Amino acid sequence: MSSLLEVAVLVTCLAPVGLVIVLAVAAMLGNLLSERGVGVVTRLALITALAAAATAAIAFTVGPATPRLLRYGTWFGAGDTVFHFDVVVDSMSLSFAGLSLLVCNVVAAFSVRYLHREPGFDRYFLQMSLFVVGITFVALAGSVELLFVGWELIGISSALLVGFFHERAAPVRNAMHVFAVYRLGDAAMLSAAVLLHHWSGSGDLGALFSIGTIAPGLVDAHHVLVISLLLIVAVAAKSALWPLSGWLPRAMEGPTPSSAVYYGALSIHAGCFLLLRAQPFIAGSTVAIALVTAGGVITTAYGVIVGRVQTDIKSAIAYATLTQVGIIVVEIALGLRNLAMLHIAGHACFRLLQFLSAPNVLHDLHELDNRLDGRPARPTTEDTRPTGRTLYRLGLERGLADPLLEWAVVRPFRRVAARLDALDRRLVGERPRDGGP
Amino acid sequence: MQLQDATRRRLEAIVDEIGHLLPAQGPIDVFVHHNTLHAFEHLPFEQAVVEAAALFGCEPFLDEERYRQELRGGRIDDDDVAAVLATDLGTAADEVVIGTLTRGELRRRILLAGIPARSGPDLRWTLEETDVLRRLRPDVPADWHAEPVLVLRNDDRAHAQARHVRALWDQCRAAIERVQSPPSPARAPATRLADALRHDLGVDIDAWVHPILVRTTSAFLDQGLADWTLPARDRGLLRCFLDLYAHPLTRHGSPIGRDLHDLLGAAIERVDADDPFATLHDCLTALDVPPPDWHPYLLAEALALRGFAGMVHQFERRPDRAPTTPVPARLVDFLAMRLLLVRAAVARVSRDAGLRGSAGELRRWLDANRVPPAPPSIDDRAWPLFHVAQLCGLGPEALGALPSERVRALQQELVDFDGIARRRLLHAAYERNLRHRFLDALSQHVPHRRPPAAYQAVFCIDDREESMRRHLEEVDPDVETFGIAGYFGVAMYYRGVGDARARPLCPVAIRPGHLVTETPTARADGLGGRWRRFRRSLERLVHDNVHVGGRRARVGAALFATIGLLWIVPLVVRVVFPWFRAGTSRLERRATGTGRLALERADFETTGADISDGFTVEQMADIVQGQLAPIGIADRLSPLVLLLGHGSAGLNNPHRSAYDCGACGGGHGGPNARAFAQMANHPGVRGQLRDRGLAIEPTTWFVGGERNTSSSAVTLFDLDLVPQAHRAVVERAQRSLEQARRLEAHERCRRFESAGTWLPPAVALMHVEARALDLAQPRPECGHATNALCVVGRRERTRGLFLDRRAFLVSYDPSVDTDGVRLAGLLRAVVPVVAGINLEYLFSYVDNLGYGAGTKLPHNVTGRVGVMDGAESDLRTGLPWQMVEIHEPVRLSLVVEAETRVVQRLLAGDETLRRLVEQRWLFLATLDPSSATVHAVDHEGAHPYLPKRPLSRVEGPSRTHYDGHRGHLPFVALGPTEEDAA
Repeated sequence: MSSLLEVAVLVTCLAPVGLVIVLAVAAMLGNLLSERGVGVVTRLALITALAAAATAAIAFTVGPATPRLLRYGTWFGAGDTVFHFDVVVDSMSLSFAGLSLLVCNVVAAFSVRYLHREPGFDRYFLQMSLFVVGITFVALAGSVELLFVGWELIGISSALLVGFFHERAAPVRNAMHVFAVYRLGDAAMLSAAVLLHHWSGSGDLGALFSIGTIAPGLVDAHHVLVISLLLIVAVAAKSALWPLSGWLPRAMEGPTPSSAVYYGALSIHAGCFLLLRAQPFIAGSTVAIALVTAGGVITTAYGVIVGRVQTDIKSAIAYATLTQVGIIVVEIALGLRNLAMLHIAGHACFRLLQFLSAPNVLHDLHELDNRLDGRPARPTTEDTRPTGRTLYRLGLERGLADPLLEWAVVRPFRRVAARLDALDRRLVGERPRDGGP
Repeated sequence: MQLQDATRRRLEAIVDEIGHLLPAQGPIDVFVHHNTLHAFEHLPFEQAVVEAAALFGCEPFLDEERYRQELRGGRIDDDDVAAVLATDLGTAADEVVIGTLTRGELRRRILLAGIPARSGPDLRWTLEETDVLRRLRPDVPADWHAEPVLVLRNDDRAHAQARHVRALWDQCRAAIERVQSPPSPARAPATRLADALRHDLGVDIDAWVHPILVRTTSAFLDQGLADWTLPARDRGLLRCFLDLYAHPLTRHGSPIGRDLHDLLGAAIERVDADDPFATLHDCLTALDVPPPDWHPYLLAEALALRGFAGMVHQFERRPDRAPTTPVPARLVDFLAMRLLLVRAAVARVSRDAGLRGSAGELRRWLDANRVPPAPPSIDDRAWPLFHVAQLCGLGPEALGALPSERVRALQQELVDFDGIARRRLLHAAYERNLRHRFLDALSQHVPHRRPPAAYQAVFCIDDREESMRRHLEEVDPDVETFGIAGYFGVAMYYRGVGDARARPLCPVAIRPGHLVTETPTARADGLGGRWRRFRRSLERLVHDNVHVGGRRARVGAALFATIGLLWIVPLVVRVVFPWFRAGTSRLERRATGTGRLALERADFETTGADISDGFTVEQMADIVQGQLAPIGIADRLSPLVLLLGHGSAGLNNPHRSAYDCGACGGGHGGPNARAFAQMANHPGVRGQLRDRGLAIEPTTWFVGGERNTSSSAVTLFDLDLVPQAHRAVVERAQRSLEQARRLEAHERCRRFESAGTWLPPAVALMHVEARALDLAQPRPECGHATNALCVVGRRERTRGLFLDRRAFLVSYDPSVDTDGVRLAGLLRAVVPVVAGINLEYLFSYVDNLGYGAGTKLPHNVTGRVGVMDGAESDLRTGLPWQMVEIHEPVRLSLVVEAETRVVQRLLAGDETLRRLVEQRWLFLATLDPSSATVHAVDHEGAHPYLPKRPLSRVEGPSRTHYDGHRGHLPFVALGPTEEDAA
C-alpha cells in the first residue's frame, strides 16, 4: 500500500508542475497552444492531480494511517546542511491538498469559459497553474524549503493576477501593494525557515508539525517564541489578519475567478492552514498563543465593522471572508484543530460559489425582493449617534489599516533605509544626493 | 460672506450645463440604450465625434490601421474610397499638388497605403533596425512607381534599390532643411491643476482625491447593498461628507488627511456650510480659478470622475428611476465635495514643494519650471515626406529639384490631411460600403405575393427578431409576420404575481398612466398558491440564514463549520455542469406566473389620479386600433394573431437589462403582448372598434407570448382561454415556433466561437439554453451587436432576404396611409430608440475603454447602481467589450417605404428626426411603394440611388447560406424566385 501512496502523492505534486512547464514552454515558443489547447491541458493536469490526491487519501486511510514524512530525494546539500524533497502525509495535509485541487478544478472549468477570447488567456492560465503548484506544495510540504517555495509561488501568482489588467494604472498599483505586504510575510517566513534550519539542524518540518520526534535543538522556549512570532507575521500577511488587512480590497482588481480562488477560497486560508499545522508547536509559547487569539478576535471584529459598510459586492464578500478567517484563527488558537479544518473546507466552498456569482447580485437582490413581497431584502441599519457615526466612518475608511501600516512599518523602514543610504555615501565618500524621495 | 445672487445664478447655470455632458446612464438594473454623444447631436456627426473625443479624451474613429485591414479584406473597396474623397474635396480634388499628381489622387494614395505614424525614439528605431531605408515600400502598387525597374527582386537591383531609397531619404531631409519648421502648435495649458501636476511633477493628486470621493458617493447612492447605511442621507451629499470627514480620524486616513482635516474644520464652522454654491465659490477662489475659466474648470473636474458625477446627476434628474431608495443627490454637492478635496490635495502639494502660498502660486511655479517640449527633429519632419515621395513615385532627383515653396505646400497638404481627416474619410468609406450593399439588396429584391395567411405573428422590431421571423417563414410559408415596437402600444406599470414592485414597461420617454397587476387565478390560490407560499417561507429561511447570514460572523461560522462542505454540490453542479439547471429552471417557471391580468378598469370615471388601475374599454380600443391600423393588417386578420414580446435571461451579468426589450424600457415585453391580446379579444373593445370601422371578426383570436432572446424559449400566455375552434391553429403555430426557434438558435451559434459550426440544430438549441444558465458565461447572447439597418415598410419588401440579424424591421403599410400621418407617429416613436441603440453600440465599440465599459472580467457591482473595475474605480458606463465584440461600428441606414415627398414633408415637421438626418447621425433613404426606386435623402435633398452589384440568390433556406461561416455574411435572396415557385 505504501508504494501506491508514494506514487499517488508524487503525481499529485508533479501534475501541476508539469502543467506549468507545458504552459510556460508553449508561451515561450510563441503561442503553440490554442485557447482550446490550453483549456484541455489545464483541465487534464488538474483532474489527474485531483484523482491522484483522492487515491492518496484512500491509500492512506486504508493503510496504517499514521502521519509520516515521505522523502523523494535530496535537492542539494553543502557540508552538513542538506535540503530534501520531503512530503508530509497525514489526514490534514491530504485533505487540504484534496480540497485545493477540487477548488482549482472548479475554477479552471469556470475560467475556460469566462476568459474566452480575453487577450491574456494564456497568461492567466500560466499564472493560475503556478498557484496550483504553490498551494499543493504548501499543503504537502514536509520540509521548510518546499513550504517556502510553495508560499512564494502563491504570493507571486497572486500579485501577478491582481495586476492582470496591466494596461490600466490602478491594477498595477494595487498589485504592487499586495506584493509588498506579501513580501513582509515572506521575509518573516524566510527568517523562520533559516532559524528553524539553524536551530534544529535540518529543514524537516516534523518538528514544527509535531510529527515524529522533536529535534533536540528546539527545546529552548525562546527559540519557540521567536519562530512562532515570525510564523504569525507570515500567516497574518497571507490571511490578511489585522493589521495587515489593508491589501484585501485592493486585490479585487483581477478577473472575478482569480479573486474567488485566492481571496474567497484558498490563498486566504493558506495562512490558516499553516497556523493549523504549526499549532502544537506555537502552543509551546503562551505569549504566541495569546497573540494569535488576539489577532483572530480583532480580525473578526474588524471584518464585521468594515464589511457591513462596504457598498460594492466584492469588497463586502471579501470582508465577510475575513470575518470567518478571524474566527478560524481563534478556533486554532483554542486548539480546536478538527473544527478549524472543517470550517476552512466548508467556508472555502461556500465563499467560492458566492464570489463566482458576485456579478449576479443585482439579479439575486431583485429575486429576493420579489420573494419577500417587497419587504426590504436586507434590513439596513442607520446609526446617527456619534459612536455609530465613528464606527461607520472607520468602516468606510476600511479601518485605517493602510495608514496604520504606513505609519508603523513603511515610514520607519524608509527612514532606516535613508539613514543607511546616507551612512553608505559618507563611508564611500560620495556627496549625498540632492532632494531624494 | 453671503454669495451674491448673480454669482449664484451663474454657478447654477454652469452646473446645469455640465450635467448635460455627463454620461446619461441611470442605475444599471434598468439599462436604457441612448446615444452616448446625445449632448452633441446639434452638430454634424463628423464634427461632434472629434469635439467629443477632445473633451472626453476618447477616440473619434477606429484606428487607421484597422480601416486598412478592412481595405485589404475587401470590406472597403477602392470605389468607396474614391467616392468619399470626391464628395469631401469637391472641385479642389483636381488641383495639381506635386508633379502631375492631383490632390484627389495624392489623398487617395495616402488613404489606401497610409503613412505609418512614427516619431522620436520610435522613428529612430525604425530607421536603424528595419529595412525602410533599404527597400521601397512593398505595399505600394507598381504602377505608382515612376521607375518600375526598382521593384524587381534581383541582387544587383536590390543594391540599386537600397542606394535609391537611401538617396531619397537624404533628399527628403535636405528638402526639409531648406524650409523653416512650421511653428509647433503650443500645448494648450492644462485646465486642471491636477493635470499640470501629473504632467510636470508626476504627482497624481487624483489618486488621493478619488478614493474618498468614490467611497463617499457610493455610500450615499447605495440602494441596499451595504448593511449599514450612511447616517442622515436626507441631508444631502455635501452635508454627509462634512459630517463624516470633519472628524479627528481624518488626519490619519489619507495622504491629504492633515490638510483635509484643517480645511473641513474651518468649512463646517461657517454659517453657509450647507450651501454648496458658497462652498464652490469659495473653493474656486482659493484655487485661483478666474471667473471666465469657471465653466471649463468645473467641467474638467466633473469629467475626471464622470461615471459617479453622471450617476449623481441621474438621481437628481430622475428620482423615480432609483431602484429602491431615492436619495437627495445633487450634482453641485458632488462638485463642491470634489473641490474641497482638490483644495486639500493642492495644499499638501504646495507644502511639499516648500511653497506657503496659494494654488495660483503653485501654478505659476509650475509654469516657470516647465521644460518646453523639444521641437520635432529633421527626421521626424522628413518621415512623412519620405512616404509621400514613395507614394507619388518621386525619385531623389525630382525631390532635390523641388523648390522650397513646393515642399512647404506639400507639408501643408499633409497637415490638412492629418490622421483625423484620414480616419474620417476611411470611416465614411467603411459605412458607405455596407450601406450600398444593403440598398443594392433591397432595391433588387422582388417582393413575394402571398395568399391569405394561416396565422399572423407580430414580433418586436428588434434586430434579433429578424432571424426568428425569417426562420418561422421558412418553416411555415403560410405565416405572415410583422414588427411593431415591443411594448405593443401598452404603456403601463406592471406587477406580476411574484413581483415585489410594479415597474414601467414602455419606452423611457413615456411616463405610463396605468397600472396593471397580475392576480392569482383560482388554481394559483389552491395547490399552486400553497406551493408558492411554502416556497416563499423556505426561501425566506434560506435567505435570512444563508445569503445574509453567510456574510454575518456568527451565523456564518455556525453554517460553515457544520454543513459548509455541502456547498461542494451546488458549486460543482452550477459551475461545471450548468446544463443540469436547465431542467430545474423549467419546473420553476411552471410554478410561477399563472395568474390573470387585471386589465379592465372597474369604474369608468376618471379618478384624477396620475396612475389609474387598468384601462377603460375606450382606451383599450384606442391602443388596439393604433397598433393594427398602420401595419395594414386590419382588413385581413387571420384566425390567429400571435404577439410576441421579448426579454433575455442570463446569469452573472450586471448588464442583463441591456439585452432586454428597449421599447419596454429595458424590461420584458411579455406582459405587454399578453395585455394587448387580452384587449383585442375583449368583446367590448371589438364592439367599439366595429363602430370605428375596424372590424375584428369572431373568427380571429389573439394570443400573447414572450420570446427569450437568450435561450430562444417561447412562452404563450392564457392558452386555456383559447376557444375550441382556434385550438388547431394554435397548436400548428406552436409546432412551427418550436422548429423555428431551433433553427434560430442554430443560426446564432455560428457567432459563438465556443459552439462548433458543425452542431446540428437540436444540439445548438441545447447550447444556447445552457448559455443562459451558465454562471461562467460572459456572452449569454450577442444582443444588438452587428445592428446597422432599419427598414420601415411592408414585410414583402424584405421577406426572403437574408439580412443577417442586422436589421430592425418595422411594419408599415404605405397604402393605408397616403398622407403620411401614421408614418410620422411611427418614426417619432421608433427612430430615437433604434438610433440610440445603434449609436451606443457604435461608440462603445469605437472606444471601448473610453465610451464603453471595458472588459467585463473585473467588473464589480456597487451600490446596485453600476459597475466598477475592482474596488475603487469610477463607475463604468456604456457597454462592455464582450457585448460589442462582433459589432461593426456603422451609423444606422434607415429605409422607409414611402414616397420621397411624403418623407421630406415629414422631416420638415419633425425637429428630432430632421436633426438626426441633417447632421448625419443616421442615413435615410426612401423605397418607392410601387417600384424598386431608392432615393437617398439628406440635408441637400433626395438623390436617386442606382444599384451597383447584382443581388445573388441562394437556393434553399437560410441555413444553406450561413452554414459553416462565422463572420458577417453578404445580403442575399433566399429560396426559389416567384416564377420558379409558380
